[in-house]
Amino acid sequence: MQTTRRSLLGGALAFAGAAVTGAPMVRGQAKPRVVVIGGGAGGATAARYIAKDSKGAVDVTLVEEGQTYQTCFFSNLYLGGFRSYESIVHRYDRLASEHGIRLAQQRAARIDRDKKTVLLADGSILPYDRLVVAPGIDLKYDSVPGWSREAEDLMPHAWKPGRQTQLLKARLDAVPDGGLIVMVAPPNPYRCPPGPYERVSMMAHVLKATGRTKCKIIIVDPKDRFSKMGLFQEGWEAHYPGMVEWLAPSVHDGIKSVDPKTNTVVTGFETYQAALVNVIPAQMAGAIAREAGLAGASGYCAIDPASMKSAVDPNVFVLGDACVAGDMPKSAFSANSQAKVAAMTIRAELTDSRAFPARYANTCWSLIETDDGVKVGGRYEPTPEKIKEVEGFVSKTGESKELRKQTYEESIGWYAGITADIFG
Amino acid sequence: MRNTKKATILLAAMAVDAGSSGIVSGATPPPPIARVIEGDRALGEYLSGECVTCHQLSGNYDGIPSIVGWPAPWLVEAMNDFKAHKRANPVMQTIAGRYSAEEIAALAVYFESLMKQPPR
Repeated sequence: MQTTRRSLLGGALAFAGAAVTGAPMVRGQAKPRVVVIGGGAGGATAARYIAKDSKGAVDVTLVEEGQTYQTCFFSNLYLGGFRSYESIVHRYDRLASEHGIRLAQQRAARIDRDKKTVLLADGSILPYDRLVVAPGIDLKYDSVPGWSREAEDLMPHAWKPGRQTQLLKARLDAVPDGGLIVMVAPPNPYRCPPGPYERVSMMAHVLKATGRTKCKIIIVDPKDRFSKMGLFQEGWEAHYPGMVEWLAPSVHDGIKSVDPKTNTVVTGFETYQAALVNVIPAQMAGAIAREAGLAGASGYCAIDPASMKSAVDPNVFVLGDACVAGDMPKSAFSANSQAKVAAMTIRAELTDSRAFPARYANTCWSLIETDDGVKVGGRYEPTPEKIKEVEGFVSKTGESKELRKQTYEESIGWYAGITADIFG
Repeated sequence: MRNTKKATILLAAMAVDAGSSGIVSGATPPPPIARVIEGDRALGEYLSGECVTCHQLSGNYDGIPSIVGWPAPWLVEAMNDFKAHKRANPVMQTIAGRYSAEEIAALAVYFESLMKQPPR
């Protein structure tokens, strides 16, 4: 192993400090230790950037239960038949082989913020100097009356990638011509704001492409408006006339209940008997973050906009869908962007590398029909109150076919880019 | 200690100040001024985090052009064109619009210093 001047110096200083002040043993480690919980767009990016840029000066452990990672982003394109399932599955091997990140393929059971340790499901304990918490979302199984964890195979959510995504595709493929699909859309704030509506587009694409044009998709939405609303509604009318109907709360008068056994959805206005019901429930930060006391009443974790540090613990950083990121949406692009600010801050604190001002970016692409891609995005900067959007853009209605095709091709390039940036 | 590569970049920028924006009869527009800016590679490396979400560090092309190994003046010109909305992509216009000349120079020096990686 290469011994760097930094680690020798850091170790000597830490040892001297411990001797004088009686600081905890962890301070006497030659290398500062970072533990990252969650191997998604936020966590894996943070682990990779800390390890890559510190060149061995920081000991990085990535705690992730799954052996592979299925991206939620682009899972709609798998549903629509534009990508294989294999193409959205990624491995962690290169994070270990190229950057020396330790992989703990374990569930993180508990965080002890006083002792600065993470307890894993197998009983082992990881001490940390800095902790990155990026668990993504948990579903609120009690947010839709009649729906539950036990019912998630009958009325799939497919809002956490993996088996549920494949189940939803199988169920979509089995819908007969003339069958009704009902999507119960989620309330804000939730993972991937345009996601439900891109999903509806992909469902309609599959139905149309397989000649099932008598099918109908009804979106029962608890929101009055949604991301890229004008673009999706224009696209649905152009590509799937009569197949997609979006109902605002003022129209459906509330989602009263669902019955997973009979596939019915009851609103204040009507009872729907469906061939397939896709329930996307309300969401909150992953349990490990909430149980560590990092989340507020909203169910998500407040952060310092300039660093991504938890608002309640300066040794902990919360990234991605689990945090309250001001004007930034809950997206993989956002999580990846936040991870780079956290990684830069952590390196500066632990190795005295240069610190730079935080800056954030996001773009969300959505596919409405073959070669009809749209996008929304922005740049963000920290203010004392929140991460604030300083400039934004969104595709326009009535754009040319050529531009929409370019936008779709750009999204393919982005997927290749961001997955290489996350997983190496 | 990392050896920080520095390079100087010539930026042709229109001289813009309060006096030049007013149109005065018979006045000739001010000539372009050349600014010499030292590219700060370490700053460029940090800022590049935003670029490599889409532009692959390997130099691979999957729908978004590679910028790895570009001569610094190319990147400066491209970013200035996006900044001035002479090039059309709204993602790039938004990104370039927020960068200072120093930051663009830093990015240009950083990407120039990189080599394309062989395909995996």
